[in-house]
Amino acid sequence: MAAFERVLTRNVGRPEALTLKGYQQNGGYEGLAKALKMEPDAVIDEVKKSGLRGRGGAGFSAGLKWSFIPKGKDKPKYLVCNADESEPGTFKDRLLMEYDPHQLIEGCAICCWAVSAATCYIYIRGEYTKATEILERALKDAYEGGILGDSVMGSGFKLNMYVHRGAGAYICGEETGMLESLEGRRGQPRVKPPFPAVVGAFGAPTVINNVETLANVPHILVRGADWFKAIGTDERNTGPKLYAISGHVERPGTYEYPIGVTFREMLEGCGGMLKGRPLKAFIPGGASAPILKADQIDIKMDFDTVAKAGSMLGSAAVIVMDDTTCMVRSVSRLAKFFNHESCGQCTPCREGTNWLELMLKRIEHGEGTERDSQVLLSICSHIGGNSLCALGDAAIGPVQSLVKNFQEEIDQHIRDRACPFPHRRYFDSGFENGA
Amino acid sequence: MPKVTINDRTVEVAAGTNLVDAAIQAGVQIPHYCYHPRLSVVGQCRMCLVKIDGMPKLQAGCSTQVMKDGMVVRTDVPEVEEAQKGMMEFFLINHPLDCPICDQAGECGLQDYSFKHGVPYSRFQYEDKRTYPGRERIPLGGNVVLNMNRCIQCTRCVRFTQEVAGTGELGFFNRGARAEIGTFPGKELNNPLATCVVDICPVGALTSTRFRFAERVWYLDKKPSICTGCEVGCNITMEHRRGDIKRYKPRYNVEVNDYWMCDYGRSTHERYKTTPRLTTPRVRTEGGNGNGHTPAIASTRIASSWKDALDTIHSRLQAAQGTGEIAFLGSAFLTCEEAYLFGKLADAAGSPHRSVPADVGPAWTIPRFERPPISGREQAPNRRGAELAGLAAGEGKTLTGEDLLHGDGAGQCEVLVVCDSDFGVGAYTPETVERLRQAKFLVVFGWADSPLAQVADIALPVSHHGEKDGTFVNVEWRVQRFERAFPPPGQTRAAVEALGDLLSRFDAAWANQSPGKVFDRLAGELPAFAGLSWHDLPATGAALNVPGALHRLSDQAAETSSEASS
Amino acid sequence: MSVHEPASMKPSGPPQRGGGFSQAALDEIAELRKRYPTAEALTLPALHIAQREWGGWLPDEAIAAVAAELGLPVAAVYGVVTFYDLYHQKPVGRHRIRVCTNLSCQLRGSEEIMETLRQELGVEEGEITPDGRCSYVHFECLGSCDTAPMMMVDDEYQENLTPNRVRQIVKGLK
Repeated sequence: MAAFERVLTRNVGRPEALTLKGYQQNGGYEGLAKALKMEPDAVIDEVKKSGLRGRGGAGFSAGLKWSFIPKGKDKPKYLVCNADESEPGTFKDRLLMEYDPHQLIEGCAICCWAVSAATCYIYIRGEYTKATEILERALKDAYEGGILGDSVMGSGFKLNMYVHRGAGAYICGEETGMLESLEGRRGQPRVKPPFPAVVGAFGAPTVINNVETLANVPHILVRGADWFKAIGTDERNTGPKLYAISGHVERPGTYEYPIGVTFREMLEGCGGMLKGRPLKAFIPGGASAPILKADQIDIKMDFDTVAKAGSMLGSAAVIVMDDTTCMVRSVSRLAKFFNHESCGQCTPCREGTNWLELMLKRIEHGEGTERDSQVLLSICSHIGGNSLCALGDAAIGPVQSLVKNFQEEIDQHIRDRACPFPHRRYFDSGFENGA
Repeated sequence: MPKVTINDRTVEVAAGTNLVDAAIQAGVQIPHYCYHPRLSVVGQCRMCLVKIDGMPKLQAGCSTQVMKDGMVVRTDVPEVEEAQKGMMEFFLINHPLDCPICDQAGECGLQDYSFKHGVPYSRFQYEDKRTYPGRERIPLGGNVVLNMNRCIQCTRCVRFTQEVAGTGELGFFNRGARAEIGTFPGKELNNPLATCVVDICPVGALTSTRFRFAERVWYLDKKPSICTGCEVGCNITMEHRRGDIKRYKPRYNVEVNDYWMCDYGRSTHERYKTTPRLTTPRVRTEGGNGNGHTPAIASTRIASSWKDALDTIHSRLQAAQGTGEIAFLGSAFLTCEEAYLFGKLADAAGSPHRSVPADVGPAWTIPRFERPPISGREQAPNRRGAELAGLAAGEGKTLTGEDLLHGDGAGQCEVLVVCDSDFGVGAYTPETVERLRQAKFLVVFGWADSPLAQVADIALPVSHHGEKDGTFVNVEWRVQRFERAFPPPGQTRAAVEALGDLLSRFDAAWANQSPGKVFDRLAGELPAFAGLSWHDLPATGAALNVPGALHRLSDQAAETSSEASS
Repeated sequence: MSVHEPASMKPSGPPQRGGGFSQAALDEIAELRKRYPTAEALTLPALHIAQREWGGWLPDEAIAAVAAELGLPVAAVYGVVTFYDLYHQKPVGRHRIRVCTNLSCQLRGSEEIMETLRQELGVEEGEITPDGRCSYVHFECLGSCDTAPMMMVDDEYQENLTPNRVRQIVKGLK
């Protein structure tokens, strides 16, 4: 595909961008300066107009989310930046934080101005120690450089921004689980409504946005909503997008494309399949997204097209699997993950994810029965839509797609009374020296 | 108020009412485990899922509030029933199916909802059930036992300790399928309301140390009653098997104890088991009429008939008039009706000496919904009622409970009549028994064969709390009625009957008394009870018309706080 | 060195230190207190600090110290500790190794990384080597799938692993 000007990752490879000065040299904080001269509502309108949709997984319009926050400055409001990137296969936010922390800080500051929030917490997963350190240093610079604090860039707008470290729990990536965790409790999602825009952190109206979503904001301000809208598939799928590609490809990594790039282009962009082996399946949007078969290789990777194909773009974490992959084993691993990460409060998720893991393990080990596929689907239907938060729905995606797309492999496990795929010694098969 | 339609039944409910409560008003049961009206709504058991018109997904009834007109809800549609089946299956895959050896069987939420909403077979056939080795019978403090294998993680108990008791001993630990409840290592669940977590536990995970394996619950007869542990007057259900009381459970009364009661109150029925019972009237044939204490010798006490015993008392009371003092020592355990008749008996005997001895102890406090907590320090249920009904110590120089129990008052008495003084006022201490025995003639009405009854000249067996009808007035001047749960043993009679019988010897009009009759009579006579009748007394009790009641309550509060600060 | 973790791990041993937080830790907590409207919000930061203070894990006394410092029921703090994967209720090695075994790493041989550690350290997952040097566990996705397989050694990401590299890394841990 034609060369595409990197937007979100423009500072990757510019180590000087880690400093305030280095960031500003490349147009940094111009978006914030511009925003501060605008009315907060005008900022929200601009973001709304750009069509920016949340990059964390749900794809909800960012501008619309901001507009739900009650107006006025009399009551405290918060922005919580969701940097709890834990969806298996996703590593794009870490890149943004480690290579361009000020871009995120600028995005956060613009959002705070737009919704009149005086405090922003960047909730970062506890494992990201390096990103934490880089962010802390950037925040210190920003305070010292007058970007944050009592008067943001001399505007009189007061803003404090802090990093809050999580402690290892996927569920804290769920909005309200994150708020509970931020408030010092177990990260158990809350019942909704009320939504965070009404009752969020510490009982106050709160915006929660993903790192990548906020990183887009300065560019929208500087270059305008129209510029942003021109990138992408259509009106509903706009802007640049980070795709995190991993698994059986030659050069796994984070790649920036206009949203809606086809999976085939993406695969070519990262050097194709590992060792040139055939593609068997891919997950288009992180562990919660249903698995697609190789025949979907030409799918446009935007929110709506992927949804139409029966999966979801989610966090755009693409996991690629070649023909040597046992799908039962792969899904079993994801089921183990969801069981491990279920917070345990609601029944369908607590019991259902556990049951799914046990069953899939049994099938994987060749102890499945003819009836298992049907029971798997039934468990999924009892979890889906019935759990308290979206984790339940996320957990069933891979399992349902396994039964739908790879029933033959399940049958083979049951027929052979064993896994038909030899448990390949990965490093013995020549990767030790080649990797 | 907004209207909501549930399964075609439309009801008007207060704005903000959730669907579980609204459904109850509409006569529809929405199954639920984690929801409890007094605990925060967490929406986690997912049993209360309902279909709401216009919503794509099923919604949790507990966390959905009726805010405006027009909500249409269904619980009887296939998708709801399918979800309920699914949830029941989830609950049961990791729950032991050993109801025959589970103490909760018969009052278990899992049994009930399995029957109503579950499926009769299991598809969880090849996997192992989750267990918590070593956590099958953990004492969480003295009164509650945890069996983690049976827990369904509804966290009602955790929220109770955090939100109602305010002590937070229980927590929710671990994550996902390994989530469990418990106390911090080395800490105990030991707040005064601890056993309430057993009541609200829908399954057999939390059981009461006191009750577990004492009785199969389907053998229990249940009667609404009032706790006698203190002057709060918690509404309870008295559960017994053939007169053997097995447990007290709190009964909802928003005006008094809400859904709760204290562990001390629950323990109070044990006195009926541990104390020997008096079942026949008994008189002493020799000795005992001198001033000195006469040792109790079995052969000197013989069974008598009620008629002979009452005749003797009547003649002693008549003979004593003019020759010496006659004193009537009541008790805060007496019902209003008993106290009223006891007072009338004092009148008939021409005696000014009547009193209800005080027994003030630690405060028992019950938290309440949208009301200040209610607290009682008198260790008996009816001090206020007994005094109002005619046992308040008279004006001027009279013999009070203090004089009799701790002074030499009894020595001045020709006749001393003690009614229902078997516990509370220290009738068991050798010292008080000796002091009261100073009376020339000692009559004791009581249910227990107490040390005092043993030295009495006449001891008369009367019903205990479970065996009689009556009313108590609690610390907030609320009169509450309770009813007989089972008949008294042997020749035991209800005190109202016995006192009426004795009074009829002075005036035939007093014959054939019943608590209802007495209550209506005292209601006609005493302004505090004006307008009340036995038959129409509401199930939640009625506030008495006592001038300055609040003032007197606040006095008590001031007294409590000044004690606390001193 | 990261912001919240120590530069050098203290020896684990039986670190029932007695007493509560050090003064430096208390100062740190007091400083953090300014960031939040409630004391409860300090639970996670305070537990991170406590874990550092108590040598990499949280014995009961550390949990009790956090509860006392923040004025919270200790059962609630215990609930928080048991919820999060990064808090340890058992002693850990001087070096803690967390191996990502989620799908992307599994596709690229994470099981062999676990196997290599088992051979190299001679202990099972979750155990501490007899010299107290290392302990290792498998972990959920650590967000470095492009460099799979990978593991986290203390606070450092070790990426693009091979069994040989794992052996080298382990040998370098003192």
